[in-house]
Amino acid sequence: MSKSRLAKNSIAMTGVVIVALYLLSIAVSFFWLPFDPVAMDVEHLLEAPSLATGHLFGTDEFGRDILARIMKGSTISLVISLCATALGSVVGVLMGIWAGYLGGRWDHWIMRVADVLFSFPSLLLAIFVMAILGEKTFNVVFAIGIVYIPQFARISRGAILTIKSSEFVRAARSNGAGSSFILFRHLLPNILVPLIVQVSLSLSVAILLESSLSFLGLGVQPPAPSWGNMLSGARKVMVLAPWTAIYPGLAISFLVLGFNLLGDGLRDILDPRLRNVR
Amino acid sequence: MSAESILRVEGLRTEFHTESGLVKAVNDISFELARGETLGLVGESGCGKSVTNLSILRLVQSPPGKIAGGKVLFEALDGSRRDLLAVSEEEVRVLRGKNISMIFQDPLTSLNPVLRVGVQIAEAIQLHHGLRKREARAKSIEMMRLIGMPDPERRVDDYPHQFSGGMRQRVMIAMALSCKPDILIADEPTTALDVTIQAQILDLIKSLSARDATAVIMITHDLGVVAGMCDSICVMYAGRIVEKATVDDLFHDPLHPYTKGLLASIPRVDAAASAEGSQRLYSIPGAPPSLVGMSDCCPFHPRCESAMGICRSRLPPETVHAGKGPRSVSCWLHAKEGR
Amino acid sequence: MGRYIAKRLLSLVPVLFGVSIIVFFLVRLIPGSALQMYMGTQVEATPQQMEELKRIFGEDRPVTVLFVEWLGRILQGDFGYSLRTGRAVLPDILSRLPLSLELTLFALFLALLIGIPQGIASSLKKNPVSDVINRIVGLLGLSLPQFWLASLMVLAFSGTRGWIPMGNYIKFAANPLRNLQMLFLPALAIGIGLAAVIMRYTRNSMLEVLQMDYIRTAKAKGLKKRVVILRHALKNAILPVITVAGFNTGYLLGGAIVIEEVFALPGMGRLALYAIYQRDYPVIQAIVLVIATLFVLVNLVTDLIYALVDPRIRLDEGKKQS
Repeated sequence: MSKSRLAKNSIAMTGVVIVALYLLSIAVSFFWLPFDPVAMDVEHLLEAPSLATGHLFGTDEFGRDILARIMKGSTISLVISLCATALGSVVGVLMGIWAGYLGGRWDHWIMRVADVLFSFPSLLLAIFVMAILGEKTFNVVFAIGIVYIPQFARISRGAILTIKSSEFVRAARSNGAGSSFILFRHLLPNILVPLIVQVSLSLSVAILLESSLSFLGLGVQPPAPSWGNMLSGARKVMVLAPWTAIYPGLAISFLVLGFNLLGDGLRDILDPRLRNVR
Repeated sequence: MSAESILRVEGLRTEFHTESGLVKAVNDISFELARGETLGLVGESGCGKSVTNLSILRLVQSPPGKIAGGKVLFEALDGSRRDLLAVSEEEVRVLRGKNISMIFQDPLTSLNPVLRVGVQIAEAIQLHHGLRKREARAKSIEMMRLIGMPDPERRVDDYPHQFSGGMRQRVMIAMALSCKPDILIADEPTTALDVTIQAQILDLIKSLSARDATAVIMITHDLGVVAGMCDSICVMYAGRIVEKATVDDLFHDPLHPYTKGLLASIPRVDAAASAEGSQRLYSIPGAPPSLVGMSDCCPFHPRCESAMGICRSRLPPETVHAGKGPRSVSCWLHAKEGR
Repeated sequence: MGRYIAKRLLSLVPVLFGVSIIVFFLVRLIPGSALQMYMGTQVEATPQQMEELKRIFGEDRPVTVLFVEWLGRILQGDFGYSLRTGRAVLPDILSRLPLSLELTLFALFLALLIGIPQGIASSLKKNPVSDVINRIVGLLGLSLPQFWLASLMVLAFSGTRGWIPMGNYIKFAANPLRNLQMLFLPALAIGIGLAAVIMRYTRNSMLEVLQMDYIRTAKAKGLKKRVVILRHALKNAILPVITVAGFNTGYLLGGAIVIEEVFALPGMGRLALYAIYQRDYPVIQAIVLVIATLFVLVNLVTDLIYALVDPRIRLDEGKKQS
């Protein structure tokens, strides 16, 4: 992937810029936040956004600054999404490679497991897992990660199967290279393209899943701020104070859009099959 | 336009705007088609034969394609004459399928996979002759019988993938001829078919066009097809017509070096028995030029064994030449001026 | 066709078996036995009562036996009893299923109604500016959280009578018009993301199909542009859209769970959430099982519709039979 091609693709670049903005705000939030994101302030309940008070995005029903909570919440949301995607992709890719490379009985059973996991709508599966494991932040990672396992398994298996029969693998094998050596040396680089795209799109879905879970009270638990539980809290007061619902939602939508733009743009750049379609 | 002429193409230019530059796929082409005549348009792939004919019906994909100039004069039976490139889109649309219809190279991709063949044949009749559904279906069956489809009453409800390649092309022919067009444009109609089927399809086109006195433009890269089917021939090279002649003249006395090369590269059964039988099959050296940014020169000069200085600097003019029928050639070897 | 359906139905058996294994054993992972959870809310029990309860909860038998027994009961339609209310689970689910299904189908309908015409329109007006706008609108539709959209709708329409159900849900059978009016915004919130997906797929599929030789053939016949697009192009372009729409219907069902909560609709989603809040595992198990089964069936129906629209698939099966 050449730098110039990434720069030329305005869709992907927009995604990069958006994601970078969030990363910047996270970096800033470690050193400075406009207010304490968890401290209640009974004198400033549900204050409208205003420059004078310094509450740029207003305050919530406990008088907490919404901007500070959004900034703090972006760390939590992003870390959960990254960890969940990492978990799902690593386990899924290993399963897929294993199934695709070994074939036969292994392939059959691993893919049946993936089929079964695929039989649950993703949000339902995540909710179910949270219900079993209990509402702890770490469990959110697991609940979302499990949703991704079959997706990554299918993608990597498909890629492996197409490459497996190709000449260069046979050549490596005839030169006496061992199975695991072949796998990681030759095959992995070749399935990276679909995986990179899938990771980017998965991050966007992970953010949505995390916020949905937190919104339902099954994800990140208050008082720790997450965008989802901020919106959950806002439900009772949003008619009085619409800003409590608007800004956290915008924060989610904008970051998800960023990952979607990135993934979509990367697909254009990296997938030569699609390059000429649009 | 001569009395019995039905179609005259004058100075047609079609260009494609691509990433690597402007491609002049059809570059100043003129020819004339008489009523009932079969004209062959011959050349290597990529020389602009198909684009020429898509341009006649304004079916060039745009973008990237664009008809940049010229006229396509069509004379209807009632004597009215119009330039198809100048009239409204609606006016051309009504002519398509009714007065001028087309058969394409690959019958599998040219037939809609999700529509029954009967429906696809009937569409044009329904549209142009205002038939009702049932009448159109009856007409479809009649057309399928005409093109030699066994058991047409049953097969009219089948889908394209249920037919063999040859039968699919017959369906295409039935579709194209259903409205008894004045002109049939056949774009490489046998290229995608088995050799054994090719002759059958060509015979079918020949007999049906003769029956209705349909003029045919036969696009092909295969001179063998031309020899058996056509009255006259245009040889195309790199977006231009380099030689026009009747079949007799062209085969017995080719003038352009490219035409000569083409003829020499046909395997001949009779030649094998003659003295030069052991000679290797001729092939024209080099490859067709890229059509991007062509300058003023004879497009064939890089591959031409008789190339001269002038060939590299000036485009050869079209020169009328004596023959049994009307003929002309664009080559400095035969030019009467400017040498 | 019949044999095709039978074959596909048969292939669902192992998948559903796997689903039931997961549903059963995941719940077993929960620390503490079902009995302890049950007892958590009850007063003290005598040792004899405890023995009796242990027998009822099956704590005296190995887990595999319990699984077989459980599966056997489920196959007979006995999904167990709620730990909280003591009522049979299945009737409760069945009484709430219609609303969730209606919401899902309504959302699917809206998604198709918005997505397909938009996709066609944008495929016909292809230029760099509209391309980028279409892509961004499509991605934006994917990026808005459903529950947030729903919240905004509640915010925007809370003053307008009749559009926000909020506790006075009216059944379709009682008053179809009022029912549809109430479900319109929730369905829109659920379906708008899918509408964006369908728009993109329709558009890309149309762009691909419009390049096909048979479109040129159709044009060469002199057909009107409308006929070329609707009869020749759309019928082919719709094929991948069917797959995507079907595959996503299950996700709509998942989305319905959250949206029901926002709009206070008494559907299966709310039942599930309260079961989760109250740790009512038999109810959770049953709901997950029902939704997963529905999801698998929807995918089957999608394949069948696909086969109906694409004659090539149907006949490939026919050839195998003969």
